[in-house]
Amino acid sequence: MAEKRNKEFYPDYLVEISIVIFIAVELTVVLALVYPQLIGRQIDFSTPYRPLPEWYFLWLYQAVRYFPGRWAFIGTVLLPFIAAISLIMIPYIDRGKRGRTRAILVGVSLLLAFVVLTLIPYISP
Amino acid sequence: MGKIFDWIDSRFGVKQPHKKFLERPVPEGVNYAFCLGGASFVFFLMLVCSGLMLSIYYVPSEQEAFMSIVRLNNDVTLGAFIRSFHKWSANLLIITIILHTIRVFIYKAYRPPRELNWIAGSLTLIIALGSGFTGYLLPWDQKAYWATEVGTSMASTVPFIGKYILYLIRGGEDVTGATLIRFYSMHILYFPTIMFLLLWAHFHMIKKQGVKGGL
Amino acid sequence: MVRRDFLKSTVKIFFLLISIISVSVFSIFTYPWKFKRKELTFFHATDEEALPIKGVRQVFIKHIRGNTQINSKAFIVNSGSELFALSPVCTHLGCLVNWYRPKNRFLCPCHGGQYDMNGKVVKGPPPADLNRMPIKIEDGKVYIGLRV
Repeated sequence: MAEKRNKEFYPDYLVEISIVIFIAVELTVVLALVYPQLIGRQIDFSTPYRPLPEWYFLWLYQAVRYFPGRWAFIGTVLLPFIAAISLIMIPYIDRGKRGRTRAILVGVSLLLAFVVLTLIPYISP
Repeated sequence: MGKIFDWIDSRFGVKQPHKKFLERPVPEGVNYAFCLGGASFVFFLMLVCSGLMLSIYYVPSEQEAFMSIVRLNNDVTLGAFIRSFHKWSANLLIITIILHTIRVFIYKAYRPPRELNWIAGSLTLIIALGSGFTGYLLPWDQKAYWATEVGTSMASTVPFIGKYILYLIRGGEDVTGATLIRFYSMHILYFPTIMFLLLWAHFHMIKKQGVKGGL
Repeated sequence: MVRRDFLKSTVKIFFLLISIISVSVFSIFTYPWKFKRKELTFFHATDEEALPIKGVRQVFIKHIRGNTQINSKAFIVNSGSELFALSPVCTHLGCLVNWYRPKNRFLCPCHGGQYDMNGKVVKGPPPADLNRMPIKIEDGKVYIGLRV
């Protein structure tokens, strides 16, 4: 092939996609076999229990600790709501001069808050 | 195989509208980071398939839920595997969606005309998180029950109307079988349907606007 | 063209009405209007001899909710001057609290709420003190009131 052909979606790209699909399925199968889901205990209404949420909700679990008393709704409802809205509105934050800088500021702070708040319960339970 | 496909295609006409999509050139500067979105879709499809399998054995009732999971694990061939598979694909789905979001952000692919696609993607992430939360209750064990007790109580902290939101989510005052069936319905009907619609919109817009290559 | 504009707006209003009605029917349908109101019932918890002289003792109450047997917990506290029962449900987000004797405090394992012996918030996010439960003593038996 002398002339340089443009890559096309099919079949050039689709072959690479099949590799990704293969890796994704294999990864899940291996993880499922190595770390199987365990059966929990039956519900007990009388023993105190500390339920940890899924790792992707740990940030919320940690955030509600910081808002005592009647300010609790800030951590439980308001902050997640603001986070969701600012994630959705990123294309509109990135408008005009310095738009990208503002968008980066919002994006990085969202990510940083997520990572830091998720790590805190792991480090100091 | 090809003949059968041609027979269907001559009547149904799937090839022609997708020809442009399949033969479109891929822009310069596309690397393997662009596969993250595709990987998320693969995990989503894996979740749908394993979820369909699980729903055959799972019983969403207060008395039966826990026992049906135990039965699934112990008596059903591959039962434990499919359950772990479902759980792990869910975790990997969230990871890949987050990475995909970061990738899109770095490549500025949310800029016009792709704003709406960014919004659809963000809503997909939120629905995925909601599916994770509702799915957490379904095993109806100690961890599931108390996590839901705490999670739903968060709604009650909203000033003035918190109590009513709490009753709406729980289907009553406490986390009971009513909550279980609510979460089950959300987890297997509402959220997947919304997810399919959002993903259809997502892909439709990619088809229309093309992939943004390069930084 | 007046007729055409009228038809256009009729169609718009029609579909708007349909969506409003569907959404309201959906929300009215999903809201649990008639869930069972809870009534105060007294359950036998322990005997009078087993009451704490000074301190906290946890008791278990067996009752039935729906079709499931539930083993609830309650704390009976004798602060020296007063005898009362405390609900173990943390007022923050509904976890169960522990009585931690070395510090003389109730600790919530979930978000770190702490209450003193009288159920008053000492530390952490809980918005209110632990709820008191009605308690009565008849013929040497202690009864605790639960809303079921």
